Amino acid sequence: MAFVEQLISNLLYGAILGSVYGLATMGLSLIFGVLRIVNVGHGAFIMVGAFIAYWMFILYGIPPLISLFLAIAVGMAIGLAIYMLVVKRLVDAPELASLLAMFAIGIFIEEFAKQIWGADYVGYSWEIGGVSMLFTEVPFTKLLAFASSIVIAAVVYVWFRKTKIGKAVRAVVEDREGATTCGIDVNRIYALSFSLGIGLTVLSGVLVTLFTPVGINVYMGGEYTLKAFVIAVLGGLASPWGAFYAGFIFGLIENGSYTLLGLIPGVEPFGLTRFLSSVVLMLVLLVKPTGLLGGE
Amino acid sequence: MLKNVGGENVSKSKWLLVAILVVSTALILGCAQQQQPTTPAPSGEGKVETLYFGAPISLSGKFAEEGKASLEGMKIAAKWINENGGIKVGDVTYKIEIKAYDDESKKENVQSLIERLATVDKVKFILAPYSSGLTLAAAPIAEKYQVLLNSHGGASDYIFEQGYYYVVQTLSPASRYQTGFLDMVKAKDPNAKRLALVYEDGEFSRAVHEAAREYAKQLGFEIVYEKTYPAGATDLSPILNELKAANPDVLIGGGHFADGQLLAKQLAELKIDLKAISILVAPTFTSFYEALGNKAEGIAGPAQWEVGVKYSPEAAEKLGIEWYGPTQEEFLSAYKEAMGEEPPYQAAEAAAAVLSYAKAIEKAQSLDPAKVREAMNDLEFMSIYGVWKIDPETGKQIGHEMVIIQWQNGEKKIVWPESAANAEPCYPMPTWDEKEGGATCGS
Amino acid sequence: MRNYTPLVTLLLIYAVMIAIGQGIQGMWQPIMLVIFYIAVGQALNIFLGMTGYVNFGYVALLGVGAYGMAVALGYYTDLGLIPALTLGFILAILLAFIVSMVVGGIALRLRGAYFAIATIGVNEGIKYLILGGKIWGGSSGIVLSGILRKAYGAETMRFLSTVFADAGLIVVAILSGIITMYILNSRLGYGLIALREDEDAAKVMGINVRRYKQIAFVISCILAGLIGATAWTLKLTYVFPQDVFAINYTVEAIVIVMLGGAGTLLGPVVGGLIYALLKYYLTIAFPGMQLLILAPLLIIVILLFPEGVVGYLAKAARGTRFEKFVR
Repeated sequence: MAFVEQLISNLLYGAILGSVYGLATMGLSLIFGVLRIVNVGHGAFIMVGAFIAYWMFILYGIPPLISLFLAIAVGMAIGLAIYMLVVKRLVDAPELASLLAMFAIGIFIEEFAKQIWGADYVGYSWEIGGVSMLFTEVPFTKLLAFASSIVIAAVVYVWFRKTKIGKAVRAVVEDREGATTCGIDVNRIYALSFSLGIGLTVLSGVLVTLFTPVGINVYMGGEYTLKAFVIAVLGGLASPWGAFYAGFIFGLIENGSYTLLGLIPGVEPFGLTRFLSSVVLMLVLLVKPTGLLGGE
Repeated sequence: MLKNVGGENVSKSKWLLVAILVVSTALILGCAQQQQPTTPAPSGEGKVETLYFGAPISLSGKFAEEGKASLEGMKIAAKWINENGGIKVGDVTYKIEIKAYDDESKKENVQSLIERLATVDKVKFILAPYSSGLTLAAAPIAEKYQVLLNSHGGASDYIFEQGYYYVVQTLSPASRYQTGFLDMVKAKDPNAKRLALVYEDGEFSRAVHEAAREYAKQLGFEIVYEKTYPAGATDLSPILNELKAANPDVLIGGGHFADGQLLAKQLAELKIDLKAISILVAPTFTSFYEALGNKAEGIAGPAQWEVGVKYSPEAAEKLGIEWYGPTQEEFLSAYKEAMGEEPPYQAAEAAAAVLSYAKAIEKAQSLDPAKVREAMNDLEFMSIYGVWKIDPETGKQIGHEMVIIQWQNGEKKIVWPESAANAEPCYPMPTWDEKEGGATCGS
Repeated sequence: MRNYTPLVTLLLIYAVMIAIGQGIQGMWQPIMLVIFYIAVGQALNIFLGMTGYVNFGYVALLGVGAYGMAVALGYYTDLGLIPALTLGFILAILLAFIVSMVVGGIALRLRGAYFAIATIGVNEGIKYLILGGKIWGGSSGIVLSGILRKAYGAETMRFLSTVFADAGLIVVAILSGIITMYILNSRLGYGLIALREDEDAAKVMGINVRRYKQIAFVISCILAGLIGATAWTLKLTYVFPQDVFAINYTVEAIVIVMLGGAGTLLGPVVGGLIYALLKYYLTIAFPGMQLLILAPLLIIVILLFPEGVVGYLAKAARGTRFEKFVR
């Protein structure tokens, strides 16, 4: 019985974690979808968001939910600045030149953050209680992370589907040249998408701390970069909401498989869950090379 | 590729960038030139000379936090030596200077930097990089150039089982990290038998906990649960849900900073009550309490050293061994002045490594690493860090004892061993519900 | 037209580097660091430069190569030194071959960035298989220096970890260069470049795109395995999973190839020199600040030479008598 109970608890936590993963990948997918830029510095922007949540809470007692607005504003400003200074000049350069630039920018942000915030590992406690559900305890902060991820993902979805500019962005994703002939100012769409992508990523950093409010450090992003890449491919790479669903599935696999892998003797099941998610990625690609929601 | 952008504009901005590039390169090369160290002039009568101790240390990357503290500890020790007569070898008085480079916590860099220190900077005494892995990477190069390597951050026992004669250890080995805590639990409560281990799957924490598991069995503990989690995990709930079902009395675990904080945080969230918890590394930093608030109350952890340990010139005299180095007050005020906070143990162990070199050089009356290494074999002294004594054959530290710290009422207290303690262990620690109501250890 | 003259430039650069390393005190390890980065770039370039595909799982191949050598030396020490070493190289090649065949078979069906990011899963997958499955010591890794010292004596161990490891890496680096040159001059190379420019067109022209890509991928991966076996296992004398499957090496390799110029022979050499020396001297001059300074410098180089320094030089040299020597 304990087995089933634990499986259910793990799936619950997996779903919450997955929603945060999903949101933390949307920015990556958006930037790739529109500009074909692989943002290898992705994690550095998540780190910036995490520190925004941390400092707002520590200095002014502002709860992370309110920091979300600040984070997206700061993120979009940083994104726009990077676009104007660097990315704009590389749009027509070979694909990899921009990858290299994002690598350098990622390092720069991390090292700059280290100079001002130090290399300490910090955290904050926003104590708002918790609730017993499905055989386990869930703090409200994690439930809030879950709910806000879904709401934000939904807002982005609606924005893409219903607004004029959202539709223009989608047109550029589908067909660059076609969009230009239709009178869409591609450069503006690039600037907007890059800035929005970075904004979403910084914002997701706040949600990451809502889920894990400790261990905040300038080098924390690396882990999320890797996960985001895998999730992005799983979700079809160019599709932000594909990424969100994939994140969800990824969280369920990571946590849910733990109980099953624990039945194998003589291994470390937690490590194997990571192996399993790589295997799932490979299998999905074998069956459907464009990812789960590719072509969407 | 740039043809569709305005031609003149491009070439202008291009030249501007070239100019920036050239200027900055020139700047860098200029600085690199200035850094050429002066090698000490041949010795004369009653001369004062500078002796460099080399330190490839992590100021960037995953060990940046520990590296920063270590470097400051070394500097304080060097300053103390210089202000207290330096090192006297024959007629020459040597002043110590630390020559430090940033290895970015990467193994390739360590090897280049060790070679640079040994050849260009002519350094004969090197303070090893932080962590066991990097120390192991440094060892072959150090041996090639026959320079001494003093490990103050590489705890793993196996480094000293590889047969490197030029590698010695200042900190207590990994196998000793969690044993003191188990002794303490046994002394406080012989009935607390159900022990669980939850730690990071890395070479250091595995070495620590595998040794601890064997030791626990000897003490009569029953291992009710043992699992690892991968480095970088952001959710430990799968393991902790299982742990809860195993119903342990005592938990040991952890690995590094982030996961140690996470482990404590999620134990609180999942309301897994234990009588005692000992977590590696993370609790010894003040940021641990800042991150967790009063949820940190009662959580213990092993430390190589802690503010308030009872090592003093008087204690040394009682034991009949020599005291060397700054007193605790001197060390604390120097560190606080430089860094604005209390020193973590990484600072003290690095300082002790510097002191041990100074002491051994004076004893050997020589700057020859082979002679200094030999002098280290029967060197024994006490500093703020405690007793320093190595096993002659392997170079492993055997004199130093670790302490157990525990967060009590917002303060880090030393609770074990009794001879070093400045507070009683808070046992059993308050439950999570009690803490939610504001309970602390000692309230 | 077959043109092997750029190899002269390549060998000349190696000769100068080795001379500097041997002649100037304290320069040998930095030179080896440069050669490590060049080798890593050179091997990656065979695939990335020729096909335009980025293999993010690249470091996994260095990792399995390192494990191949470590397993041979650590678990089959009794075979004797020469057989164990030989076995090590064979295992390194074999493991790299198997991994590259499997990964290539699955991932090479993907185009462009889909391929790139899909391969990230490879590195993570292998790392966690070793950790989670407790294979080859799991997180405790394989520590060789004690074993080697006991079995073959301290002298031999030191020789292995310094002279032999360095010489091995230099051979692998030069070999990668020669193979690059050979491919550039071969049918394979022309086919690959055609598919880099336009994969669909290449297909229509009757080039077996899948097979060409797979060949380049496997060659690149085997060379990476050999780099792992020499530069890591032999030189450092230990292997820990977290250490050898660290993704930053892949990114650094890409940076080197792009800095120098993808698809050129000399690109990785120039890229490796710029990257490693810049980093080394910045470390010496500004400990702790070097990355903060390095990052903007990298951005400037990219903005100036989006096709890499050698790509730029090759264009500039076109029509001059240096043309033959730069590629």
